[in-house]
Amino acid sequence: MNKTLKIYKPFAMNELKRQMAYKASFYLFLVISLFSSFISYFLWMAIYGSTDANTLGGLSQNEMVIYIFMVYVTSSIVTISISEWVSEDVVKGSVAMNLIKPIDYRMSLISRAIGTMIYQFMVPSILVWIGLEVYKVTVLGMDLTHLSNIILYLLSSVMSFLIFVLFDFCFGMIAFFTTYIFGMLMVKDALISFLAGQLIPLSFFPEGIQRIFDFLPFSSMIYTPVMIYLGKYQGSELIFVLSRQVVWVILLYILGDLIWRKVTKRLVVLGG
Amino acid sequence: MITVKNVSKEFVSNKKYPGFKGAIKGLFSNEKVSKVAVDNISFHINKGEIVGYIGSNGAGKSTTIKMMTGILTPTNGECLVNGVNPSKQRKINAQNIGVVFGQRTQLWWDLPLSESFTILKEIYNISDQAYQESMTFLNKILDLYSFFDRPVRTLSLGQRMRADLGAALLHNPKVLYLDEPTIGLDLVVKDNIRKAIKEINEKYQTTVILTTHDIEDIEELCSRIIVIDNGKKIYDGSLEKLKDTYGTKRKVSMEIKQLNAFEGIELSETLGVTPDLCSTRLDVEKNTLEVTFDKNKLQVPQVINAVMSIADVQDIQIQETELAEIVKAIYQHNVAK
Ligand SMILES: Nc1ncnc2c1ncn2[C@@H]1O[C@H](COP(=O)(O)OP(=O)(O)OP(=O)(O)O)[C@@H](O)[C@H]1O
Ligand SMILES: [Mg+2]
Repeated sequence: MNKTLKIYKPFAMNELKRQMAYKASFYLFLVISLFSSFISYFLWMAIYGSTDANTLGGLSQNEMVIYIFMVYVTSSIVTISISEWVSEDVVKGSVAMNLIKPIDYRMSLISRAIGTMIYQFMVPSILVWIGLEVYKVTVLGMDLTHLSNIILYLLSSVMSFLIFVLFDFCFGMIAFFTTYIFGMLMVKDALISFLAGQLIPLSFFPEGIQRIFDFLPFSSMIYTPVMIYLGKYQGSELIFVLSRQVVWVILLYILGDLIWRKVTKRLVVLGG
Repeated sequence: MITVKNVSKEFVSNKKYPGFKGAIKGLFSNEKVSKVAVDNISFHINKGEIVGYIGSNGAGKSTTIKMMTGILTPTNGECLVNGVNPSKQRKINAQNIGVVFGQRTQLWWDLPLSESFTILKEIYNISDQAYQESMTFLNKILDLYSFFDRPVRTLSLGQRMRADLGAALLHNPKVLYLDEPTIGLDLVVKDNIRKAIKEINEKYQTTVILTTHDIEDIEELCSRIIVIDNGKKIYDGSLEKLKDTYGTKRKVSMEIKQLNAFEGIELSETLGVTPDLCSTRLDVEKNTLEVTFDKNKLQVPQVINAVMSIADVQDIQIQETELAEIVKAIYQHNVAK
């Protein structure tokens, strides 16, 4: 365990340093992504304003505000696209350079993702999060989020992160079969923003469709931790959604392992 | 140390057709093209050997190296490196080997070189003391510290290659694979790299497998060479034997005042052999006569005597066929044997 940590820590640290080196592009990204959160904020406020109902899809207007911005906070620490790194490595042929070293390729990617996660947590996430809490108390007149909810949220987010990167690793394996993965990345982003509840809370969907979502890993990526933060799950339901996350971590871990074995067997390294 | 047993590698890819129509056609057709890059190759390499693995472009050298390093899985046959099957036990194998692909780097592009070495230290689980020792030695032979703090992407090709070689050697591997380690380097750097390889080999008994298109690399480093052509092994043995077997020609150049005395004269007739065993070329400007002959059939004194019986010779130069010529002949498939 200690040894593993020592081997992979440099990957995380490097990524952290690298991210810091490209600050300018990062702040641009931050502004653009927050911009889309504000669009959805105004959209939802208009929707709530035009209806007499107090809650929509089980969320009050104030809860919707929290939902929108916590989705932002969560996705910036969860959706770290390691499949882009895979495709970059495939195109540049640097997968081979990973294979000649006694390291696990997936672990090195996940370590890099952890580095990115730490950075994104420190820079946009926590600021937006604090901003949101301040807004809640001063403008919306609500209480601060309870500490137990925060802890559960963080726990759930870590699992969300693992589910996302393990899934994305499997997805990235496509890069070994088609060199043109860019189009698929766009499709994946669109699908996830829909299926993980980034665009619309999943509770807005009809019962039948929600049942289908229950069997997909995507709801565990963003929707689950945000709803935990909102305190929407209690008791056995809470335990259920958390265990479901654990199950997804395990399943995707095994799946990635199987795929990687298949891929390395028929791996084609370009160039040389 | 390394055993390669009946190894083959076949690449299968979808057939591509030219143009837009072709792209559409490609979508629906299931035609495959296959290319046998390595065809049933076997060899055994002992500890401490430096083996030159040569062949023309596309002969299958890199493919073989990739299979021995565990990057590619052979279609047939198996490799054993130090008792380990590289493609099945990739991580264990990776602990024991160092690899340099001249065409690309294993270093972290954006980071200072020193960082890459720190990472490698952790990856290979090298103790502080061993690391210090290695670094002192590597710096001595490769002069790494002069650019140690610079990001890898700012290094010149020669510096990068030295850095890559250093990185491949940091954990003192038992086997070192070098795929074109001197490509694009100037004469001085080439020389340094060769010296470094030699020193490592002598000091640690490191087994080295080297592919190259530079004949000098082979002449200076390799005691043994393996030649492959079109995926097949066509020669495996010492350098001398290669020269003996394929370098059957010898050339004697003689400076002669009255060169016109040789006009219309067939030297092979004078020597009493068939014309294919002995050919001559007159260079009027330099006043020289070049005689190329089969060294198994004719002796140098015989040739010189024959020439001197016709005219006075002022200067004589005897040349073995150069290795480059031999290799060229092998690549062009026009060798006698
Ligand atoms: N991924 C691949 N798909 C299809 N064919 C391939 C692939 N990789 C290599 N080949 C083919 O296999 C043959 C051997 O390639 P290889 O790279 O081993 O040659 P090489 O001996 O290293 O040549 P060079 O001296 O030019 O580096 C070539 O004909 C090459 O086109
Ligand atoms: Mg090659």
